[in-house]
Parts: sequence; structure tokens; C-alpha cells
Amino acid sequence: MMIHAHSYTMTTPSTLLCLLLVLALPGQAVAETTSPSRVVSINLCTDQLLLMLANPEQIASLSHLARDPQSSFIAEQATAYPANHARLEELLHLQPDLVLAGAFSDPRLLRQLKRLGIRVEAFPLTHSIAGIKRDIRRMAELLNRTESGARLIDELETRLARLQSKTTTSRLKALFYQPRGYTSGVHTLQDTALQAAGWRNLATELGIQGYAPLDLETLLQAEPDRLFTSSHTPQAGSRAQQQLQHPALQRLLRDRPIQEIPFKYWICAGPMITDAIQMLRAVYDH
Amino acid sequence: MTINQHRLLGLLATGLFLLLLLSMFTGSQTLPLYQALSESLAGSDSIPAIILTEVRLPRSLIALFAGATLGLCGAVMQSLLRNPLASPGLVGSASGAVLGAVVALYFGLAGHWPGTLPLSGILGSLGATLLAYLLAGRNGGTLSLILAGVAINAFALALVSLLLNLAPSPYAVQEIALWMLGSLANSSLQDLWILLPGTLLGWLLLMRLGQALDLLSLGEETSQSMGVDLPRLRRRVFLAVALAVGSAVSVTGAIGFIGLVVPHLLRPLTGHRPSRLLAASALGGAILLLAADIVVRLLPAQTEIKVGVLTSLIGAPFFLYLIIQHRRSHA
Repeated sequence: MMIHAHSYTMTTPSTLLCLLLVLALPGQAVAETTSPSRVVSINLCTDQLLLMLANPEQIASLSHLARDPQSSFIAEQATAYPANHARLEELLHLQPDLVLAGAFSDPRLLRQLKRLGIRVEAFPLTHSIAGIKRDIRRMAELLNRTESGARLIDELETRLARLQSKTTTSRLKALFYQPRGYTSGVHTLQDTALQAAGWRNLATELGIQGYAPLDLETLLQAEPDRLFTSSHTPQAGSRAQQQLQHPALQRLLRDRPIQEIPFKYWICAGPMITDAIQMLRAVYDH
Repeated sequence: MTINQHRLLGLLATGLFLLLLLSMFTGSQTLPLYQALSESLAGSDSIPAIILTEVRLPRSLIALFAGATLGLCGAVMQSLLRNPLASPGLVGSASGAVLGAVVALYFGLAGHWPGTLPLSGILGSLGATLLAYLLAGRNGGTLSLILAGVAINAFALALVSLLLNLAPSPYAVQEIALWMLGSLANSSLQDLWILLPGTLLGWLLLMRLGQALDLLSLGEETSQSMGVDLPRLRRRVFLAVALAVGSAVSVTGAIGFIGLVVPHLLRPLTGHRPSRLLAASALGGAILLLAADIVVRLLPAQTEIKVGVLTSLIGAPFFLYLIIQHRRSHA
């Protein structure tokens, strides 16, 4: 009991002190028209958009996930900025004037930040090209960098147009098959990318909504021409990943092995989707 | 209630055979079974043949062997410890096996040689059982053995959770449920080959223990005066259970309640004689697990319910019923 009481008295003053420090910070209520100068992102998806659009001086910190080469499209550039782990005290020390969060960021953390007068902008999940463009536009406006937003959208549209001009009429059947047997149906980024690359997405045709498990027998009877996967850390072992090596799949596909499209293209909807579409297209043409 | 031993075994075997057939008919997709069978015999790579031989057959056989192992080992443990609450996992064999399998699978050992997984499962199982045995003392009573088992189970499962949290794969944490509850989904023939050697070896070691267990049911001292070497019997049973349960659990995870409930169900029918209970419990365990797995396949949930959830859902209330019955008959 003594130990408990002791540790309790230790934390309370330090938290209070921290709160006081923050409340005493000047200029936390920045007018919305001026460009934010200390932007902190706590979500990988906002990390990537922020890095693509902001003036480097505007970025105060990116989430630690931005440095993970498995998940992040910008792993190398991200090392130039301090990393955060989305903890309240850590964020307060960074003295942000804008915190960028994702749809699944801890709502308690965001509430606390707002209560302390820090502007928080949360980006929803998106799965379509239109959604990606909307996010780019919104991020550019938040950063007061509308021209670089327009430029990024331009590039995206040009690349997409070039890829889609080659779409053929007879279409092959593809399926995303992830560890644990999950597939991507209607309203997923993978569905958007498959269709853009000219494939039929069997999961959508089977009526699967979003990400859902597909059992092995249904998969086999649907007879996909090609399976795609994007397993995170493919070299590490797990039961989930063993499923991709099921002998039934190997007999079905024989000389068309499951194609790995790296995880970093799918984890967030962003301009990098064009790279993924290009890969899917290359497999199709092959 | 006692019925002829041969008749009981015959009935159970027939039931198991029919269930096995049913299991080949049952899946998320309807399968032209005759066509599938002839095509797989012809060695064709048609879809029905692949579904029959690579999806349904391994799954059914694994259910059969794992269920039989659990039923058999449950009966042996209950007889050996003369405690109706004993289960194959009681002295740590199942949780030790999970620990061994988790170490092998998530930390890159299982990738090199397919035998690594069952071996580390067996080693984990042996280690946990041995620890329980040593903790209880060489001539320790049944109670201290059970208590040691409870402690080791809790410790092993805590280690499993810790390891899965630390595992380098992001999928590992989600698989805690699979290991703690057990699942047969998507098993392949490779899994069957992983499971079989240890399981069969364990069964072999248990084969002619019936008489000693019968004598033991008269009481530890009485049985020892009649020539039963109790420490030796215990060692042999623990080794066999570790081999069989260790291999089965490395593939299916720890499936609950089968080893506990099946011997209870069959004990009245076998005249409360362990020598008769063993074979019957093996068949009964196979029947129960196979039936549970067929039900799981038919449930309309989008994410397949783990078979261990179902066996526990059925097993726990049934066990309560048994306790109430027991209380009434002794009131």
C-alpha cells in the first residue's frame, strides 16, 4: 500500500506542472488564416501527407511509425524529424499549433489536446481516388500550401490517366488474400486499385463488403487467376501467414504464385496508390 | 447402465465413421462428392478434388486424432489422479505445449524444419509436466500435484501472452485466442504429419496401462500392495500425455473441455473401470471434436467461430450439470 500511495503523490504534481506549463505557453490560439508553424502528426497517414505537402520548417514531429520501412512510404525522409509516440506529455513538450490525427487515434488523447487549446484535425479513412484528392486538398489548406496540393493532385491524375488508357476489355479475375484469410471487397483501397489496373475483383463480385475473411473453399471455387497479398513483415512467422502457404492454394495456382504488393502502399490512402496500380497492371500484362 | 464393452466400442466407432463421412460432405460450399472423389483418385488438380483432399480431409482427420488424444488423455489423467476434475491440461501439458509451439512459430525456429513445431510443443509439454511433477515432490499427493499444475498453467499462459505481445509479427497478438481456445480452420495435410508421430507414440505408451489404473482405483496404498509401481506409472503417463497432447496442441491450440467431459460421459457406461474407459474415451473425444467442428463450419458467422469456443460453450454448462447431479446423488 505504501508503494502505491508514494507513486501516486509523485505523478500528480508533475502532471499538474506540465499542464501549467502548457497553459502558460503563449500563442496557442493561432488564428486559422496564418500558416501553422509547429505541426505534429500522430498518425502514419497524416505523416505521409504532411511530409509531401508541408514546408519542412512547418513540421515539428512525425509519428514513430513514419520511420518503419515496412509501413511507411516516407521512412527515409521521416528520420529528419523528431518522432513521437502519441503520448500526451510528449506532445505537449513539442508545443504544437496543429496536431494531425487519424480516424483511429485515441479519442481521449484528442479530447485532452483540444481541452488544452491545441487545434486537432482528424482525417477519416478513405478508399477511393476521390477521397485521396479530398484529403490532399484538405491537408494543403490546413498548411496554407494550396499550390503544392494542386500540384500533387495534378501528378496523381496524370499518372492514373496514363495507366488507365491501357485497360483491356477481357478481364482476368484477381483476389486479395491476406494473412488470416482476409480479402478486400467493396469500399476498399485494394478494390479501387485492382479495378483501376484492369482486374476483376472476385471479392467484390462475391458481395464482400470491406475487409472480411474469405474461407478457403469459397476461394477455391471462385477460381481466381491470380492472388495478391500484402503481408506485413513477411519474414516473421505466424499462423496467419502460414495460411498463404496452404497446399490447396499451391495446387490451384501452380505457376502463378501469390504476388506480394508491399504493405506500405495500402496502409494509407495516398498518392502512392499509383505505384501499387502500376504493379498490379504489370502483373496483368504479364 | 453398464453395457457390453464390445458393443459400446462398436457403437462409438460406427458413430465416428458416420461423422467422418458427414464431415467430408460439410463445408461452406456444396461439393459434388462423387466427382470430387473420382477426380482426386485420378490425381487431377480440379477444384472439387483440391477441396476434398487438401481442405476437408486434413481438417477432419486432425479433428479425429486431436479429439481422440484429448479424450484418451483426459480419461487417463482422471484415473491416475483419481480426481474427476483432472483434464489432460491439468498438470501443464497443454499450456506447456502452447508455450513451446509459440516460441517455435513466432521466433523463426519453425521455418527451418517442419519437425521443429511439434518437437518444441512436446518439449514444452514435457517441461511443464516435469516441473509440476518435481514441484509436487516425487511421492507427493494428488492434491499437491494438482496445485502445482494450476500454478504452472497460469505461468505458462502468462508467458504465452507475453511472447505473443513481443513477437516480431504484427499478426501474433491476434492469435492469442487461437492458441488459448483452439481452432482447426485451414489445417493442411502438413499439419496432420506434424501431429501424427508424437500422438501415436503417446497412444502406444498408454495402451496397456488399463490394468494398473484399475488397481489404482482401489486406492493408492492398496494398489501399491498389489504390485503397482505408482511413481513409475505416473512417469509413464506424464510422458505419454506430453507426447500426445504436445503434438496435438502444437497444431490445434489448447481445445478445452473435451478431455474433461468425455470421460465423465462414458464412465457410467463402462462400469467405472478405467481399463474400459480409455478406448471409449478416445472414440468419444474424436466424435465430440469432429461434431463440434462440423457445427462450426455450418454456423453462418462471417468470421468462423473457433471450435474451442464451441466445445467450451457446450462443455461448461454440461459440467455444471454433472456437478449438480453429483451433489444430488451424494445428498
